[in-house]
Amino acid sequence: MPELARRFGGWYRKLGVPAPGSIQLRNVTAGYGGINVFSDLALDVRPGEFVYLVGPSGAGKSTLLKVLYGTVRPRRGSVFVDGVAVHRLHSWQTGKIRRRVGCIFQEFELLAHLTALENVLLPLQLAHPRIHDPQAYALDALELVGLKDKANEYPQTLSGGQQQRVAIARAIAHQPRILLADEPTGNVDSRTSSEIMELFHQLNELGGTVVMATHDEYVLSRFPARTIELQPGLLEAA
Amino acid sequence: MRFVPASTWAPRYVGSVVAYCWRCWRHRMMIWLATAVAVGAVLSLAVAAELFLVLASRSLAYQARTASEFQVFLSDGAQASQVSQLESQITDLPGVKSVSYRSKQQALAIARQDPTLARMAQYTQNNPFPASLVVQLADPAAASRVTAVAVKDPATDPQIPTSYTPGQGDKLSGFLSLARGLVVGIAVAALGVASLVAVVLLRSEIRARRPELRILVLVGTPRLVIRLPVLAEACSLAVAGSLLATLTLSAMGTRVVPVINSYLPFLQLGNPTNSMALLSVLTLASSVLTLGFCSLMVRLPR
Ligand SMILES: Nc1ncnc2c1ncn2[C@@H]1O[C@H](COP(=O)(O)OP(=O)(O)OP(=O)(O)O)[C@@H](O)[C@H]1O
Ligand SMILES: [Mg+2]
Repeated sequence: MPELARRFGGWYRKLGVPAPGSIQLRNVTAGYGGINVFSDLALDVRPGEFVYLVGPSGAGKSTLLKVLYGTVRPRRGSVFVDGVAVHRLHSWQTGKIRRRVGCIFQEFELLAHLTALENVLLPLQLAHPRIHDPQAYALDALELVGLKDKANEYPQTLSGGQQQRVAIARAIAHQPRILLADEPTGNVDSRTSSEIMELFHQLNELGGTVVMATHDEYVLSRFPARTIELQPGLLEAA
Repeated sequence: MRFVPASTWAPRYVGSVVAYCWRCWRHRMMIWLATAVAVGAVLSLAVAAELFLVLASRSLAYQARTASEFQVFLSDGAQASQVSQLESQITDLPGVKSVSYRSKQQALAIARQDPTLARMAQYTQNNPFPASLVVQLADPAAASRVTAVAVKDPATDPQIPTSYTPGQGDKLSGFLSLARGLVVGIAVAALGVASLVAVVLLRSEIRARRPELRILVLVGTPRLVIRLPVLAEACSLAVAGSLLATLTLSAMGTRVVPVINSYLPFLQLGNPTNSMALLSVLTLASSVLTLGFCSLMVRLPR
């Protein structure tokens, strides 16, 4: 057994691929059009770690998360998320990383013509066809965020906080190893935000890696964890 | 997390994708119908024009083939020795395949078979058709050499020495290639217009569904699955349009062509069945390919 582990360890090192559940950024420069939002960024998140991304508005928290799930392609450097070389993915391959991680987007990104349940169910059906009973998984996820009774309502009839929670249910329904959350407590009262944070910490205790962008002081003080501060003003001409 | 074996998930996945496509399409049924009619109208116009061009060029091709048969008409008073001398003279010319003698009786018999000459052959008392030397040409340009020899010979009919002048042959083959060019040109133009109509619809669909497509991309839906409803819509438009065009085509073939054949027999359009089948299949295949390709050209966000 030690022999096998040694051989596998050597294999990972040789390929330079970080272990599943981890995140590794090296010399990453990313931005939009003529500007770089950050340059030469290095970051290591171990499997099962909980990390906050903090910094003032415009510091690049969302941009960093977009680099992690492949919407923004870095100009330089390497990005490994859950063992996938995200910086090498072409635009038609980004589904590969998005099916492995769970993403909560700052603007929820719910489908307006689908009910809460269908919003959780459709990605399970279309992106995770091998899951045994997608309907049950979708309902479980809605129950976890306390929205099972709103399963058949459309997003426009839900409050901002409820929409936020549908987005969270969608992100965790396929039980990803890594959760990338962009201000998941941005639109909810302190009680709901405590519930959401407790849920995230439960997922974390079960072994999930969580990277969460926030500027919610209440959350940061009540649920302390490793904090990475992004500085604004690092913006520079590309 | 429980997974299902490949044997069950694959058919179930197909079901989910089809249900998703149906849901996308259901809201757009009226727009789809209007576009299908527009595409069908364009394709119908095109196939109707093409049917006539194909039939006309087929008839022309037949006439051009018979035009390689070139006749030197003999005067009624020509001696047998004069005729055989002219025959050997023509045989020696370059570009001539063979020469044979056709008597007045044979000419009359052939005229009775010909739809345009039959009437004349029937009501005439003394045979107006001259004896001739039938020259098979390997090269249409040889017609002018044969004519040059024939007009000087005392055995030939001084008024109408040959069946046609070389200029007429050139005109015939020129017209034939023009007709073939027109068939291809109309087909390409019609496909272009039909694709344009369909692309306008597809673009409006993509624009209306852009937020949805972006979200589906964000949650990791395979791009092929996202494209599938658009592709299915394009192909269904092509099939519906081609079906309309085929209906038009069969109406033309069974009603209009026979009428034209009976009123204007010299056009010799003939039997359209084979051309109709070929045109329908070609229209279907080319429109499905073109519209399908157009739908794949639509860009998805990263
Ligand atoms: N799509 C885009 N095109 C061009 N510039 C962009 C785009 N998205 C963000 N930016 C710019 O990149 C910088 C970082 O934006 P980002 O959204 O990452 O900030 P943030 O830290 O998430 O801010 P907030 O806390 O307000 O969400 C900003 O200056 C912003 O204007
Ligand atoms: Mg942000």
